[in-house]
Amino acid sequence: MEAIYKNFFREQNNIDPILTTLERIPIFENLLKKELKNIAQLTHEREYKSNEYVFKKHAPAEGMYVILHGEIEIKDPKSGNIFANLHSGDFFGELALLDEEPRSASAICNVPSRLIGFFRTDLLTLINRYPELGNKILLNLSRVLGERLRETNKNIIKSK
Amino acid sequence: MDPLQKIYRILLLLILSYLGWIVLPFFSPLILILIFSFLLTSVFLQSVDYLEGYVKSRTLGVVAVLGLSISVGILFIGSFLNSLGMQIKTFSNKIQKDTFAIAVENLSTKIKSLLPEFFNNLVPDSDKVILMAKNFLVNIFQNVLALLGSAGNFIFIVFMVLVFTIILLIEYHDFKRSLVLFIPNKYLEIGLRTIYNVEQQISKYLRGQILAASSVAILSIIGLFILNKVGANITLVIFIGIIAGLANLIPMVGPFIGMIPAILITIMNNVGNESAFSHYIFNIIPSPFFIFDIILMFIVVQQIDNNFITPLVIGESVGLHPMIVMIVLIVGGTLMGPLGMLFAIPATGVLKVLLREIIFISKNSHLL
Repeated sequence: MEAIYKNFFREQNNIDPILTTLERIPIFENLLKKELKNIAQLTHEREYKSNEYVFKKHAPAEGMYVILHGEIEIKDPKSGNIFANLHSGDFFGELALLDEEPRSASAICNVPSRLIGFFRTDLLTLINRYPELGNKILLNLSRVLGERLRETNKNIIKSK
Repeated sequence: MDPLQKIYRILLLLILSYLGWIVLPFFSPLILILIFSFLLTSVFLQSVDYLEGYVKSRTLGVVAVLGLSISVGILFIGSFLNSLGMQIKTFSNKIQKDTFAIAVENLSTKIKSLLPEFFNNLVPDSDKVILMAKNFLVNIFQNVLALLGSAGNFIFIVFMVLVFTIILLIEYHDFKRSLVLFIPNKYLEIGLRTIYNVEQQISKYLRGQILAASSVAILSIIGLFILNKVGANITLVIFIGIIAGLANLIPMVGPFIGMIPAILITIMNNVGNESAFSHYIFNIIPSPFFIFDIILMFIVVQQIDNNFITPLVIGESVGLHPMIVMIVLIVGGTLMGPLGMLFAIPATGVLKVLLREIIFISKNSHLL
C-alpha cells in the first residue's frame, strides 16, 4: 500500500540528493536543473565498505567520483603519503575525464561511503546526446584544471 | 583459488553450457529477435542520440529515425516487388510466344556448333530449355506462395524486432546503467571500458558495413548503366545494385550472390537477340548475353570496394586476420547458415575485445 501511495501521491518537490550534490561541484556549475537531471541520469551511484579501494595507483583511469556520504583518503600506497582527505560533496579523479593516463594515487574509503561515478564514456555520451551541455561541462572542467595549474604554479614559486 | 573449487566451477560451467545447448533451440527465435534488435539499436543509436539533442525528446527522436527508415524500406520493397512482377509477366508472355521457341532452338543449335563435338551431349535440346524456363517460372510462383505461407511467422518476428528495437532505443542508457549496477566496485571502471569498447566495435563495424554496402550498390548501378549503354538491356538496374550492396554484407560469398540476379535478368531479356548473343568483350572474348561483362563489372566493383572503400570506412575496426575471417565465416555458415555468416565477423570482433580485457584483468589483477 505504501508503495502505491508513494507512486500516486509522491511529492512534486522531492529533493534528490544526487542533484543537490552535483550542483555544488564546480564541473557542473551554472547548469540548468534539467541539464543536471540529464547528467544525473548517466551517473552511477555506488556503495563502498570501509577500507575498500575506489581505485589503486597505476590502475586504468576512466572517470571522476563525487562523495555523497563518507570519507575518502587519497594517498601514495608506497610511501604512505596522504595527499588529501575528502568528505561529502568533494570530488576526485576528474583528470581521467580527459586523458587515459593511469591513476597517479590510490583512493581508499576510511568509512562506509556512497559515491557518484561520472566516467569518460558518460561524458562522450553526453557530448553526443546534448552537445551544448557537453560543451558547458568541458568548459567548466578546463576552468577547474586551469585553477589547479595556477595553484600549483603558486606553490612551486613559494617553495623556491 | 582452492583447486577443488576451481574444478567445481569448471564442472558447473560445463553442465550449464550443456543445458544451454539443449534449451537453445527452444529460445533461438527469441535470441535471434534480441540479436537483430540489438544490431538495429547499434545502427540507429547515434542518430537517435543526435536527434534527441535537437528535438528534446528521446521518444520523438526514435519515432522520427525509425519512421523514416521503415518508410524507405517499405517504399523499396513495394516498388521492387512491383517491378519484379512486371519483369516476370513480360518474361512469361515471351515464353508463351512461338518466337521464343524459335529463338531457343536457334540458340541451342548455335551453341552446339560453337562447342567441340564431345560437349554437344551436355547442351540440352531446345524443348528441354523451354520446359526448364517454364519450370523456373512455376518455381518462382511456388516460392512466392510458400513465402506468403510463412509470411505470418516472418511478420511476427519483424514486428517483435521492431518493438524490441523501439524499447531498446528509448531505454538504452537506462538499461546500460542497470547493467553496470551488477558490476562489482573492483571491476567498475574496467567493466565500463569494456562495455564502451564493445559498443564502439559493433557500431563502427555496422556503420562501416552500411557505408561499404551503399558504395557497392552505387558502383554496381553505375556499372550496369554503362553496360546498358553498350546494349546489355538489363532492367531493374537500381534494385540489382541494392541487392548487390546488401549481399555484400556477407563477406566472401556476398559478391557472387550479387551478380546472380543481373545474369538471370540479362538472359531473360536477351533471349532471341542475335547481337546480344554474339557479343564480345573488347571485341576479343566471346560474352553471350553480356554474362562475362557483368561478371567482370562485379569483379571490378569488388576490387574497388576491397582495396579502397572497405579499408577506408571499416579500416582496423575489426582488425581480424583474413585467415581468421575465413575460419569464422565457415564456422558461422555451418552453425547458422547465411545469418551465421552475417554475424560471424562482428561476433568475433566482440569476442576479441572481451578477450583483450580478460587478459588485461588477469595480468593486472593487483591494480584492481
